[in-house]
Amino acid sequence: MAAVLKPPGNFTVTPHKMSVCILLQIYAPPAQTTLPFPFPFSSVAQHNRLGMFLLALTKSCDDIFEPKLDELITQLREIVGELDHQLSDHLTCRLSSLSSPDDLFNFFSDLRGILAGPDSGVVVDDQIILDSNSNLGVFLRRCILAFNLLSFEGVCHLLTNIGTYCKEALSSCPAYELPHLDDSSNEVEALLVYENMDLENFVFDKVTEETEARKMASERVSFHIHAPKALFGLIEGIITSVLCCKVHSSSFPLNAFESILRQLQKLAPELHRVHFLRYLNNLYHNDYPASLENLHCYFDYSAGAEGFDFVQPTSSASNSFGRYEIALLCLGMMHFHFGHPKQALEVLTEAVRVSQQQSNDTCLAYTLAAICNLLSAIGISSTAEILGSSYGPVTSIGTSLSIQQQLFVLLRRSLKRADGLKLKRLVASNRLAMAKFDLTHVQRPLLSFGPKASMKLKTCPVNVCKELRLSSHLISEFGTESSIMITDGVFSTAWLKNLQKPMGSLVLSLENASGANSNAFHFCAQPNSIPGSVLQLLGSSYLLRATAWEIYGSAPLARINALVYATCFGNASSSADVALAYTKLIQHLAVFKGHREAFAALKLVEEKFCSISKSRILLLKLQLLHERALHLGHLKLAQQVCDELGVLASSVTGVDMELKTEASLRHARTLLAANQFGQAAAVAHSLFCMCYKFNLQVENATVLLLLAEIHKKSGNAVLGLPYALASLSFCQSFNLDLLKASATLTLAELWLSLGSNHAERASILVQGALPMILGHGGLELRSRAYIAEAKCYLSNPSFSVFENSEVVLDPLRQATEELEILEYHELAAEAFYLMAMVFDKLGQLEEREEAAASFMKHIKALENPQNEQDPLFNIH
Amino acid sequence: MSSKDSCRNELRFAIRQLSDRCLYSAAKWAAEQLVGIEQDPAKFTPSHTRFQRGSSSIRRRFRTNEIASTPTAGVSYVSTPVLEEDEAVDGDFYLLAKSYFDCREYRRTAHVLRDQTGKKAVFLRCYALYLAGEKRKEEEMIELEGPLGKSDAVNHELVSLERELSTLRKNGTVDPFGLYLYGLVLKEKGSENLARTVLVESVNSYPWNWNAWTELQSLCTTIDILNSLNLNNHWMKDFFLASAYQELRMHNESLGKYEYLQGTFSFSNYIQAQIAKAQYSLREFEQVEIIFDELLRNDPYRVEDMDMYSNVLYAKECFSALSYLAHRVFLTDKYRPESCCIIGNYYSLKGQHEKSVVYFRRALKLNKNYLSAWTLMGHEYVEMKNTPAAVDAYRRAVDINPCDYRAWYGLGQAYEMMGMPYYALHYFRKSVFLQPNDSRLWIAMAQCYQTDQLQMLEDALKCYKRAANCNDTEAIALHQLAKLSKELKRSEEAAFYYKKDLEKMEAEEREGPNMVEALLFLATYYKSQKRFEEAEIYCTRLLDYTGPEKETAKNLLRGMRIAQSGFPSMDIEHLPP
Repeated sequence: MAAVLKPPGNFTVTPHKMSVCILLQIYAPPAQTTLPFPFPFSSVAQHNRLGMFLLALTKSCDDIFEPKLDELITQLREIVGELDHQLSDHLTCRLSSLSSPDDLFNFFSDLRGILAGPDSGVVVDDQIILDSNSNLGVFLRRCILAFNLLSFEGVCHLLTNIGTYCKEALSSCPAYELPHLDDSSNEVEALLVYENMDLENFVFDKVTEETEARKMASERVSFHIHAPKALFGLIEGIITSVLCCKVHSSSFPLNAFESILRQLQKLAPELHRVHFLRYLNNLYHNDYPASLENLHCYFDYSAGAEGFDFVQPTSSASNSFGRYEIALLCLGMMHFHFGHPKQALEVLTEAVRVSQQQSNDTCLAYTLAAICNLLSAIGISSTAEILGSSYGPVTSIGTSLSIQQQLFVLLRRSLKRADGLKLKRLVASNRLAMAKFDLTHVQRPLLSFGPKASMKLKTCPVNVCKELRLSSHLISEFGTESSIMITDGVFSTAWLKNLQKPMGSLVLSLENASGANSNAFHFCAQPNSIPGSVLQLLGSSYLLRATAWEIYGSAPLARINALVYATCFGNASSSADVALAYTKLIQHLAVFKGHREAFAALKLVEEKFCSISKSRILLLKLQLLHERALHLGHLKLAQQVCDELGVLASSVTGVDMELKTEASLRHARTLLAANQFGQAAAVAHSLFCMCYKFNLQVENATVLLLLAEIHKKSGNAVLGLPYALASLSFCQSFNLDLLKASATLTLAELWLSLGSNHAERASILVQGALPMILGHGGLELRSRAYIAEAKCYLSNPSFSVFENSEVVLDPLRQATEELEILEYHELAAEAFYLMAMVFDKLGQLEEREEAAASFMKHIKALENPQNEQDPLFNIH
Repeated sequence: MSSKDSCRNELRFAIRQLSDRCLYSAAKWAAEQLVGIEQDPAKFTPSHTRFQRGSSSIRRRFRTNEIASTPTAGVSYVSTPVLEEDEAVDGDFYLLAKSYFDCREYRRTAHVLRDQTGKKAVFLRCYALYLAGEKRKEEEMIELEGPLGKSDAVNHELVSLERELSTLRKNGTVDPFGLYLYGLVLKEKGSENLARTVLVESVNSYPWNWNAWTELQSLCTTIDILNSLNLNNHWMKDFFLASAYQELRMHNESLGKYEYLQGTFSFSNYIQAQIAKAQYSLREFEQVEIIFDELLRNDPYRVEDMDMYSNVLYAKECFSALSYLAHRVFLTDKYRPESCCIIGNYYSLKGQHEKSVVYFRRALKLNKNYLSAWTLMGHEYVEMKNTPAAVDAYRRAVDINPCDYRAWYGLGQAYEMMGMPYYALHYFRKSVFLQPNDSRLWIAMAQCYQTDQLQMLEDALKCYKRAANCNDTEAIALHQLAKLSKELKRSEEAAFYYKKDLEKMEAEEREGPNMVEALLFLATYYKSQKRFEEAEIYCTRLLDYTGPEKETAKNLLRGMRIAQSGFPSMDIEHLPP
């Protein structure tokens, strides 16, 4: 909203500051009143409100953006209500009456009149005098001083600026009335905020006492110290607002933002951070050459230390190096982002070396963390392959260790280093990385030999939990520190900006998220004393929790964590993460509520993320489409979707492993659905090899289960058994409870297909898995379990349908209901077939015919998938 | 090429028209070319030329020439009709306005011409406004910001000028000079495509305005843009192309054009200086020096392009010549960026880098877009080991002109100095991309790959190969290729490169440790290949040197003789001598 960019640097007089001064004159009129109207306020409260507003305005004056005149007037209306016409007229009149340098000179000398003189003991009754040591007084004095320091050229420039400031306000007059719409709800809220504000800062000269004065003095000092750093803060502000902007706006065209940045660069050339923003923008839009260019440009100019001044070449040798190691760190992360693991590692290795040379421990810690991220995110089959000719911290640990062990050691070192340096955020993020590592990796002693070496391989959910808990400690640390961390000015600015935002509903659910997303977002957009990066980290911990529970197999917990994330942290985190959270929620919907609901939700989310983080949402869409195509027996479409999925992955070895695994897993499943067992098995087998090579053990459990399924379906139950058992043992060591239940179910089905004499064993297995499946399993798994249960009874020779038909019919009924929701023709047909058989045995012909008809329906649909006009496929 | 006479007449006429419109630098350029045309000795009498100037007969003669002149074979030049002046006699207001303009009172000029409607008056008014805006912009720049920083000062006249000129162009009531100004305004406003079209229109209808050509040339950033221009064939186009080729780093094409132009303008200092510039880019320093020597003799108070001469003197380490040049330009005009740059170069050569930086900074204060000063200042900072400042200076240079390979190279060097070879590679890559035929750049990049930290020898080899292919005068590349191949145990390749290196050293009559190294390797290699004759030759040559190699050679020779004398070598070695 704010668009006037003032020249950065020291405190300068700007038209906006002059507006504030005029308002100050109204707030505390000088003794010999020259105002066109006498004390205009109808109540003390109104007067106080104006005072609060002015206080906030003066505090946010270090902001790089200053509001335009019409924006200021709009804000003013929020504050003083019916008085605003009088005030704003006065404001514009006063400003436009300034037409010569002498007018300005007189204006500033008049300002002196409202400051209390040194002999403030003499107070005319009722007169309001600003204490010159109060916040407002200091502001006024600074303005006067800044004006007095201006050269004649400066005065001329100020005059020109005032001209444009007034002209802009006049030209945008039509917009003047608009914001009135939501006033009614707003005012009350705003007032509440006023009352909550610390009254200590609210200064009347009458209450000036010694203690108060001392306090003000100390405040003034900090104010001044703050001033040179203002620029830093402002840009920080822009960056966050820009980043926020990125999260908020659903579509984010590259060029629009690029042109804003270019403009900014032109206006404030010494703000090298603009280059960095351009780099981020290009990174965000996956423009490799431009990101590379801008990154280099930023560090060439700033030497890694913003504001580095090359004019002083005589600076001492010790700090003349600059902080280029940060450049290396950023470059490394950029390569990582673009999927160039080899370059990334080379650069990060150099970063480690340079950080060590410059003894920049902080950078070293961050670099190590980045290397950890890199190693854990990309699949590396062997260190030698990726490190090539270079040597670095990775190889120096010792080549005898596997890459996973090296990663573990690195993580531990990095954590320790960060802890030692008291880098709280880094500690938290390292703990998250550790949790991520623990989640999927078997703990085994680094040196496993000797008789006492435990051979039991297991992941440690307790460790994951512990790391997650420890990483969340960060927020409590920031909760207590917040007052130190945040400068007054920023807070005031945020508060001013929120004046006009409605405090909407605090409830966010997926359904109304996209319908009324503005409300949901403003809940988080309130001035918050916790830095965004901390919130982001905290959010990631919830996202990781969701993932962890997904892997361990607790659907409700996974869902709740994803929901918490989307509700509370959606605002503070990157859109990619938000997209991930939504993905998780929609996947949950698909599994538990069927595809129709999932697609409905997907549509909403797609609108929200219409241009950004396409890949994540696109991936989800393809996954859902594939699932559904398989269920409906639409195999051609399934294969097509599957191919599209595969194309999304990068062609570089070791990159996008998750996506590659997913694509080939789905390929195998499609082949399986087409009854091409040999090919399906071949694909699954090569997938297994790849996963083994890249140490993706969790995925291997799934692959093994798939192999078992393939053998089961091909009628080779005996061959399937070892795979099922292997998968089961994988699940056990990795604590994959739900997958384990699923594997148990497959095992039972395998036993069943070996003949009726194994029915007892199968039944025991199914019964054992049922609690887990019914508690956490999705529709498909549940119905499979029901069918298996029924089959167990039916194939058991000692079981008689006539005696206890409900034992069989009830699960089958359940299964058919859920499969209808899921539209899974193949399984539904099977269930109806079994049902019809049972009814046939029981002699209930009517029910038999009904079940048979349903069976026919599903079989037909399965055989002729093209006949079905499915609106859901059209969105593809 | 049109005949010399017609060129001469065209130029004479143009100079008058240009200076009448206060386009002084274009007039200066044209006048320089005019006296650069070789005089026809038969017709030449001093009084003749003097007499012609200002006489009304010029116009008449000029026209007849236009009709009579037949284009020479090959290139057909279009005859551009001479611009008809709309008012035969300048109005009184115009005369007043012009004198104000000459006194640099631009706004007054514009004010005087406010109601004049003649094309000439309109142009001068707009041009004066434009210059007034520019002047104010420069002042504001200094008021708002230091001269080395950028600032947001803009020429406030641009908007109204653009509006007026575009209406004029639409109405068809604009002359080529107005078009030139319109192009200039458009270029400043960033609408480059339209600016190019307008400037092409301008030069097609009035080719003698060198300012217009220069503006057009600055808008031709690629060869494709250049080729897409629809330009009439006039001899001025050759000047334009020559300069454009030079800017696009097509130095040989540019040289060709200039040499062709020299046929007519054989005494043009401008062309000579441009040829020197091209030769400088081709690193033919000897030639450049000769040209500049002559230039200075003809035109001793010339400051333009002298910074390049100083670069050459710097490269050749001519202390006294450089100091002489510096003194001369200092006396001529000490507040020219070129002068400051020359003085900076002198101090740099003397090793007084702090002082040198002072003068480069002064040059930049005078012209903050002075590319070579930024780069040279970067070099100074590198010498002073102030790498961040060097990086900053180089970066400013590449921001002014992203094609400046020297600055990219400097950036790479600075980062390499800081122990960040991998990071430096990015910059070396940029620099070799822009100047792929410069062996020094390839060698620098190779050395970067070769550093202890990277040890990416394969890539280093590739770079050295490129360097060896592009005329590596110091023969570093061949030697390094040989050495690297030896290190990588590729003896066949190593032998090939050593042999080549040896041949080169022989041809250039160089001696030294590299020679010994090559001979020794070749001797050993051929021996191991059982090619004893060749090995023997190399060994014998080694005997001419003193040192341990001589002994090794003797041993090798002895071993070979024994092997050749028929005995199986294995047995011999076990026998006592």
